[in-house]
Amino acid sequence: MRKSQLLMFVGSLLLLSLFVFPLWNITLEAPQYPEAIGMDIYINKFVDKNPNDIKNINIMNHYVGMEDIPEQIPEFEIFPSVVIGMAAIGAIFGFIGKKKLFVAWFTVMIILGSIGMYDFYMWEYEYGHNLKETAAIKFTDEDGEPMSYQPPLIGSKMILNFKAISMPRLGAYLMFVGMSMTLAAFVIEKKEDSKET
Amino acid sequence: MRKISNILILSALIVGTWSCSNSGSQSSEGSGDGSVVAESSHPLGQASYSDDVSDANILQIAIGSKDHTTLVAGVQATKIEHVLVNAGPLTVFAPTNDAFGLLPEGTLENLLKEENLPTLANIITNHATPGSFTIEGLKKEASKGRKIYMATGNYVEIVVDGDDVTVGGAKILGTVEASNGIVHVVDKIILPE
Amino acid sequence: MKIMTTLGFSALLLFAISCGQSNSNDNGGALGGNLADRSYVAPGEHDEFYGFISGGFSGQLAVYGLPSGRLFKVIPVYSVDAEKAYGFNEETKPMLNTSFGEIPWDDSHHPDLSQTNGEIDGRWCFINANNTPRIARISLSTFETEEIIELPNSAGNHSSSFVTENTEYIVAGTRFSVPIPQRDMPIDEYKGNFKGAISFIKVDQESGRFDLSFQLKMPGFDYDLAHPGRGPSHGWMFFSTYNTEESNTLMEVNASQNDKDYIAAINWKKAEELIANGDFETVPSEYAHNVWDESTQMATSTIKKEVKMIDASKYPGLVYFLPTPKSPHGCDVDPTGEYIIGSGKLSASMTAHSFTKMIDAIENEKFDGDAYGIPILNYDDVVAGVVKQAGLGPLHTEFDGRGNGYTTFFISSEVVKWKVGTWEVLDRAPTYYSVGHLMIPGGNSQKPYGKYLVALNKITKDRYLPTGPELAQSAQLYDISGDKMELLLDFPTVGEPHYAAGAPADLIKPNQMKLYQLEENNHPYAVKSEKDTKVTRNGNEVHIYMTTIRSHFAPDNIEGIQVGDEVFWHVTNLEQDYDVPHGISMIGAQTSELLIMPGQTETFKWFPKRVGVWPFYCTDFCSALHQEMQGYIRVSPKGSSVPLKWSLDGE
Repeated sequence: MRKSQLLMFVGSLLLLSLFVFPLWNITLEAPQYPEAIGMDIYINKFVDKNPNDIKNINIMNHYVGMEDIPEQIPEFEIFPSVVIGMAAIGAIFGFIGKKKLFVAWFTVMIILGSIGMYDFYMWEYEYGHNLKETAAIKFTDEDGEPMSYQPPLIGSKMILNFKAISMPRLGAYLMFVGMSMTLAAFVIEKKEDSKET
Repeated sequence: MRKISNILILSALIVGTWSCSNSGSQSSEGSGDGSVVAESSHPLGQASYSDDVSDANILQIAIGSKDHTTLVAGVQATKIEHVLVNAGPLTVFAPTNDAFGLLPEGTLENLLKEENLPTLANIITNHATPGSFTIEGLKKEASKGRKIYMATGNYVEIVVDGDDVTVGGAKILGTVEASNGIVHVVDKIILPE
Repeated sequence: MKIMTTLGFSALLLFAISCGQSNSNDNGGALGGNLADRSYVAPGEHDEFYGFISGGFSGQLAVYGLPSGRLFKVIPVYSVDAEKAYGFNEETKPMLNTSFGEIPWDDSHHPDLSQTNGEIDGRWCFINANNTPRIARISLSTFETEEIIELPNSAGNHSSSFVTENTEYIVAGTRFSVPIPQRDMPIDEYKGNFKGAISFIKVDQESGRFDLSFQLKMPGFDYDLAHPGRGPSHGWMFFSTYNTEESNTLMEVNASQNDKDYIAAINWKKAEELIANGDFETVPSEYAHNVWDESTQMATSTIKKEVKMIDASKYPGLVYFLPTPKSPHGCDVDPTGEYIIGSGKLSASMTAHSFTKMIDAIENEKFDGDAYGIPILNYDDVVAGVVKQAGLGPLHTEFDGRGNGYTTFFISSEVVKWKVGTWEVLDRAPTYYSVGHLMIPGGNSQKPYGKYLVALNKITKDRYLPTGPELAQSAQLYDISGDKMELLLDFPTVGEPHYAAGAPADLIKPNQMKLYQLEENNHPYAVKSEKDTKVTRNGNEVHIYMTTIRSHFAPDNIEGIQVGDEVFWHVTNLEQDYDVPHGISMIGAQTSELLIMPGQTETFKWFPKRVGVWPFYCTDFCSALHQEMQGYIRVSPKGSSVPLKWSLDGE
């Protein structure tokens, strides 16, 4: 097996680490929570950063009319099969060892990743804007519109007295590393080709 | 992203520095040497405290008596005022000025010298006993053949002769009740063994 | 980007360390020029030590921070506490049960901390009830009273509750001797007929659970204070005694006749052997043993019926008396375990006995008679030294671990520092006023933390803003890290600060429980979700299974209650968030509020007396909508046909 094939093989299999490590994390910092509260987002579940965090986020958010963070969303069923599928295809492409396949896989991953980010954004938007009419506390923004509580896609943002921080986690980093490896595999192949010619 | 994290760290540092220096400035503002103030405002401990409604305590009775100026001078020189204002109960056999006059010439002056103050303190504390002993109480102790012992640890004998009561050889001339015990005025010094 | 973050974090970390260092310098005793700084703990900062200060006649135990003197919590132990529903809710009522029935008060005296290998370990705090003899165990993870055991045959449980080197036993001696077993007899036949019981309570090292292992039947003296041997003297327990005259009236005179009373040295390892050999009698005795179960969140009280008792007069080698002048009060053992300090409260001096000399005197039978068959050791053969003319009325001694002793003098109102071994007085500091006990963190152990000393005063007079005739009692904090004691701070205390125990915060802070796990709540009336809430009736007994969560009760509308019912409110706090308790109170309920921690269930009883619709509400300001946390309950006449109904938001 060539070096580029190995890179393609290992790089695509690195996707599977998403089953072990969280993809993303949202943390809320506020003076009354000296240990910030938050949740890790896996490809198949939401998990408390510290015990009961999601429950406590829900309790706080219900005052402004936000829905509870669901235990189950459709993505949790779709994402795992996509990840397994892409990892398997990538590994097979690695064996086959054709550079066009490498770049094709990488491109599909970029597209799928973007769809994933868009989907995540939409979920955040929905979560932050879909407020119950019966909310006990109703805030408005500077324009007099109902305030939104949408967490940032990436980075941090003040929402009332909470600082919401949204950042990729180890799973995402490993996926990026894997994707970089497949891209490297393509580049190496291409260089080899130019040498031969 | 890099910018955000830099700003975050910077602002954390600023907040931290500010809170740290702030706590420093607060504490130096509150400077006032508490202990020195506490002690200098109460140089005699509890003896520094008085009010106008409480019954007189042993020290106040002694200070108010023109026959006990020597005793009071001795108490003050040896700085044992706070003992005589303590909750007690104490029974104090208070020698009069005349009683001190019975000591050999020069003894008292000698005792009031700085290096002899511990001896003087010991002599004075030999006139105090824990507990409240009225004249009747002293007579009862005598009738049971019991000695009483002084704060120095010395035991002294009580002798009853008609209406006269002597304690360690000193005759009781009169009795005053104090808020924290009893003062018996005596005509002699009761020297420790 | 990652590198930047790492750099940033390490900058933060460095910064935190440097900031922390400058703080610790500020608190660093001898270094600081400014006394106010040295007891100042900045907002948000934590104290260096926990102080557990007895509430004395309040019956409770107060928790302070040192050096700031800030009060954190008053732990209810022997007295009911309406704030925390202690002794009011159904769960804690059994804690205050005794063989005499439920008693709402006692006089708590001597806290002491659990030890391992002679050092305090931060597991439990123990404290005695003086009046109706009991010993309590307080968890230093929950800061709640977990267990109380009554001591039969004891009366005036004063020489308690002292912990042996590995927390093998909590030892508790009686202040008053009484007829054992109790019987109807003339008081003036005291002498020879009354006896003193000393109790050894075994502690289970895992659960902390008590077992009254055995009692010693001692001569009819008053057993005043005690401390365990340590290091070489481990296995011995020392008790000061007074009234060896065995008088029964006008004690202030009659119990002060003997020039010397005794310190009783008890070989408890020998007592263990006797128990193992069956050398004891089983004495019928009635006593309550009350245990809090964290799993069911309920206390149970069991009345026990007998105790193993060893007659100290019958077994040679078990007890020896060390003559000690003038009604010794304090009986303190230095950190090396070699010296036992007796403070004759009517004298001006303290006596230090040597453990080595004591063993030698025992082996060579250097006896000076006996008392009820118990050998009295020859005074001169056991005394190591005397701290002479140190003050008037010595009471208690603690040690700093650097070879110095500190003794309080009640009458001369001062703390005197002296050197162990040479017995010379090194320094003295006045107290304001009339000091009783003193405390150095870890003072009753092989490893004192000799940075601060707390004097516990009985009288304050003019020290604080006056509050009518009844004034605050007081503690005073001294820095003892230098040659001279320096007074840093006065702070008022809860009740009488009788005695105290202290420990470094680092020993206790990491073990803190933050909330009760809801899934581990095995309270029989707990409900773990709102859908399981209900109201049940059996005759006139009604049980309400209720929950709280920010910011409502479930259910919050209840109908079908009738005048004459006995209504139990079982309220579970569904919160699982640190420091989010809820409270509840019901108009006209003849009991206290409930104050329910996250994950906990508590119960109060209510007897509805009047027809109408009555509100209840949350008493702990729990959240932004705390004021909306309320509900109604409809009370119908007895025999009414209004059905039992409960709802939240109409559901």
